This record gives sequence, C-alpha cells and structure tokens, in this order.
Amino acid sequence: MWQGKGKTAIAGIGYSEITRKPGKPLGLLAVDACRAAIADAGLDPARIDGLATYPESPFAGAGNRDGEDVVSVNWIMNHLALAPDLRWYAQIETGMIASPIIEAVNALIAGACDYVMVWRALHRPRPRASGGVTGHGGPPRAAGDAQFLAPYGASSIVQTHALAWQRYMHRYGATRDALAALALNSRRNANLNPRAFFFKDPMSRDDYFNSRWIAEPLCLFDCDVPVDGCVALIVTTTERARDLSNPPAYIAGYGQNTARRRTLLYYTLDDYMACGTSLANKLWQSAGLGPRDMDAAQLYDGFNPSTLYWLEAAGFCAEGEGAAFVRDGRIALEGELPVNTFGGSLSEGRMHGMGHIAEAVRQVTDRAERRQIPDASAVCAIDGSPMLRGSGIIVTRDP
Amino acid sequence: MNDISKKPTPVPDDLSRPFWAAAQERRLVVQRCAGCGYYNHPPRVFCDACLAQDLRFEPVSGRGAVYSFTVMHQRDVAGFEQDAPFINIVVELAEQPRLLMVSNLPIAERPKVSIGTAAEVYFEDRGDGVVIPQFRLV
Ligand SMILES: [Zn+2]
Repeated sequence: MWQGKGKTAIAGIGYSEITRKPGKPLGLLAVDACRAAIADAGLDPARIDGLATYPESPFAGAGNRDGEDVVSVNWIMNHLALAPDLRWYAQIETGMIASPIIEAVNALIAGACDYVMVWRALHRPRPRASGGVTGHGGPPRAAGDAQFLAPYGASSIVQTHALAWQRYMHRYGATRDALAALALNSRRNANLNPRAFFFKDPMSRDDYFNSRWIAEPLCLFDCDVPVDGCVALIVTTTERARDLSNPPAYIAGYGQNTARRRTLLYYTLDDYMACGTSLANKLWQSAGLGPRDMDAAQLYDGFNPSTLYWLEAAGFCAEGEGAAFVRDGRIALEGELPVNTFGGSLSEGRMHGMGHIAEAVRQVTDRAERRQIPDASAVCAIDGSPMLRGSGIIVTRDP
Repeated sequence: MNDISKKPTPVPDDLSRPFWAAAQERRLVVQRCAGCGYYNHPPRVFCDACLAQDLRFEPVSGRGAVYSFTVMHQRDVAGFEQDAPFINIVVELAEQPRLLMVSNLPIAERPKVSIGTAAEVYFEDRGDGVVIPQFRLV
C-alpha cells in the first residue's frame, strides 16, 4: 500500500459557468472558478502557494492562446493575487487532470508547499479541428503521420473512437443498448446537478435513438458536450484540511499510465484496454482498496464507450461484460454501483475529468445535493479514454 | 467521391517519399526492419519494435481484411465536407498483425462491409501527380 494514503485531501471546489455562450473569455471563467474554490475552502488567497494544471487544448489543431483558449500556470500566476512568491507549480502535458493532482499530492507530502490550487479550463474550439491539415486558400496539405490519414478523411478523434467501438461490438456482441443505458443514466443524473449544461433537459430513450449520427456507430449523444468553463480544486495536507470550511475528502490512492500502443497508425481497442487495466491496478494497489469497496465510480466519458471500457478495465465487471453490467439500473444513483453521478462529460460538459473528481469529492463529504449516495465512503474518479494517457484518484470519507 | 481537388494532399517527406513514389507506379510498399523483420507504418527513423535503423521499403501483397470501419456523417472533416456520409475502413494487412492502413469505401458498399471482410489494394488517381493506395472489398 502507498505510504501517502490519507495524508492529503481535497478541501475546496469551484466552478465557473459551464456554457456554450460564454459572456467572457476563458481566462476570466478560470478566475471565477479559482476564486470560488478558494472561498469554498475558506482560505485567504495569499495562502495558495502551489499551482498545477493540465492546460491542453481539447484536441490538436484547436486554439492555444493563453487566457483565451487555454489557461496556463503562468496566466493564473499573473492574474490572480495569491501567495506573493509561489513555492511550487507543475504544468502537466500528459495524463489528464488527475495527474496534476497526483503531482500536487507528492509536492504536499514532500513539504514543497502547503496549499495547491489545481484547475482545468477548456474552451469549445471554433473553427473545427484541422486534424493536422494545413494550407488555407489552396488545397489542404497533410504532413507527418496525417499524410496517411487525412487524404482519406480520417482526421477526427471521434472516428478513432467509432473504430474501437465497432470492434468492441463485433468482439462481444454488444449493441447500442449499452450506450443508451449509459447516456440516459448520465442525463438523469445531470438533471439533478445545477451546474450541468443539460441540467434542465431530460432525455428519453427515443431521444437517444433518434439523435443524428456523428461517426457511425456513435451518435450525437455518445459525444461529450463541448463547452467553455473551468473547475478548480484546493488540495492540501490532511492536518491543514481539517482547519478549513469543509469536511476533507481524503486522497486514498492514485495511479496514472501511458499506453504501450501496438500499432503506429492509431489507437485500437486493445491499446485502450491495456492502458486502462494497468492504470486501475495501480490505483487499487495504492489505496489497498478494490472495485467492491467503491460506493460510486466517476469514469471518464469523452466518448460514451470509454465508460464501458473503464468498467471492465477497473474490474467492476469482467472484460466483455460491460454491456450486461450497465443494464437494469445497476449504475443508477440508487443502484449497486452508481456511475457518473453528476452527469459525466456527456451531460455536465467537457471538463476533461475535472467534473468527475469534483463529484467524487462531493459524494464522500455529503455535499452532493440531491445526488447524494447515503454514507458514501470511497469513490474513484478516473480520467482518460483509456488510451495514450490516463490518471485517477480514490477519495474517501475517512483517512 | 466529389470534388477531389479539395481533398488533403499527402506531403511526402524524406521518410515517406518511397511510399508515395511506389504508389505512383501502382505498387504498395511498406517500410520494414532489416534486423527483426517488423513492418513500420507510418514509417519511422528507427524500428518501432527493435530500434534498429536499417529500414527498407518492401513490396507487400496488398491483401488483408477489414479490421474496423466507421461511417462519418459529421461535415467537418477537411476536404470531405461534401462527401458525408462517407466510409472509412481500416485494413489489417496479411503481412503482420495490426499492420493497419486506412482507406475509403463508396457509401454504396455500406451493406457489404463488416469486420473480417477480405480487402485488396487499388490505386486512386487524385490528379496533379498524386496517387494514393485505396482498398476495396473482395
Ligand atoms: Zn526491428
């Protein structure tokens, strides 16, 4: 078991508006989220002496102007009055959003700083993804690995996920019913989450099956909802957290991974599963807990099939049994394993896993509003598709 | 497909030039490691399997099977805005597991395609000297 178990905690949560019509630039949404997180923890901003983020654009080719399309450590440092001289920061390029939290935990345990603010700010890219294609005005040109994809129109990440899901259905005999169950579960939970983009929009089974195709076999409601917004968290040591406003959500374990992919052209279902399984094993080992100990699971759902892959990779069910597992209300709030209790990226909005972590914190600290699972004692939040990269943490009610 | 003039054009580089030169001659070649025999696609400056740098382009059979496929409906893929819905297949070549190449299929082929369907290479002339390998169902 990991020696850092229970030594740090998440003590504050802050959200900006989650919107498709932002009234302000992304940097100012980040300021809203960060100020809200600091206030939620009951801290003086001058005590924040550590900063960490995962600042990437939603995908390659999207804009990356600091303060408008992304919000870096440097931007926050320059535009928020925090500790006069920051003691520690980290800007993570891979691993997604649990990775800067993992770095923050390590820094806190090492004594490098006392209070870390971690945020994730994301914009809705406009115009569309280029997929490595350049050449405005003339014929578009595809260089690098894109020369083997873009001439065929295979430039979009949703196609990669559709190809993997097609293989999953073929291999295990699954149908779209499994994805419908996941999407409907997330929407129902989002209808109980006032911060969710789809808070006021219910979804019926007909709505799901009548939605338009994006990349067959994935439809509109199998894709996360692209938004502008920011979520921020305050991470500190257990001793310090106990003196703040909220009950601490103790960090019981963590894990991250990057894929050993087995083909150069694109990520396959096998790569997803290999990366995810290894990540989840590290997560369980570090906490000395297993899937049966979880009162809920917040599983990354940038595209809907990923939730199914995570259920299998993390051992909530056996490989190939995800479609049967999500049936009959098992993943509902009142079910055996509530999943994405806040609505997930599909229905809260694309916060790249930060919403998942914030909800895990809310559940183990009795702050989950009408979504509260009674006495939830341990909840995992896992990021990643799972492919290329991923990371996760487990938070608990007791240290 | 319509309006091929606006489709993205591959830009050959030092690594990929033999691949595109062979395509102009209607031949399919893939970079292969002289040390361990592994096929690298897209080509690399070192072998992805063993790190050796002795890499050569070798002819391959051009035969394989559909590894997966998707029908793109979203009209936001560069050069393919007018083509949606269009099919992408990924073909696993006979030479090596997960030696994958991407291709298109005419949308009329939608009812015939499934994972495992046999496929073979042909060459599509995109104009201006650009010839790209494509695969069709057999
Ligand atoms: Zn080799």
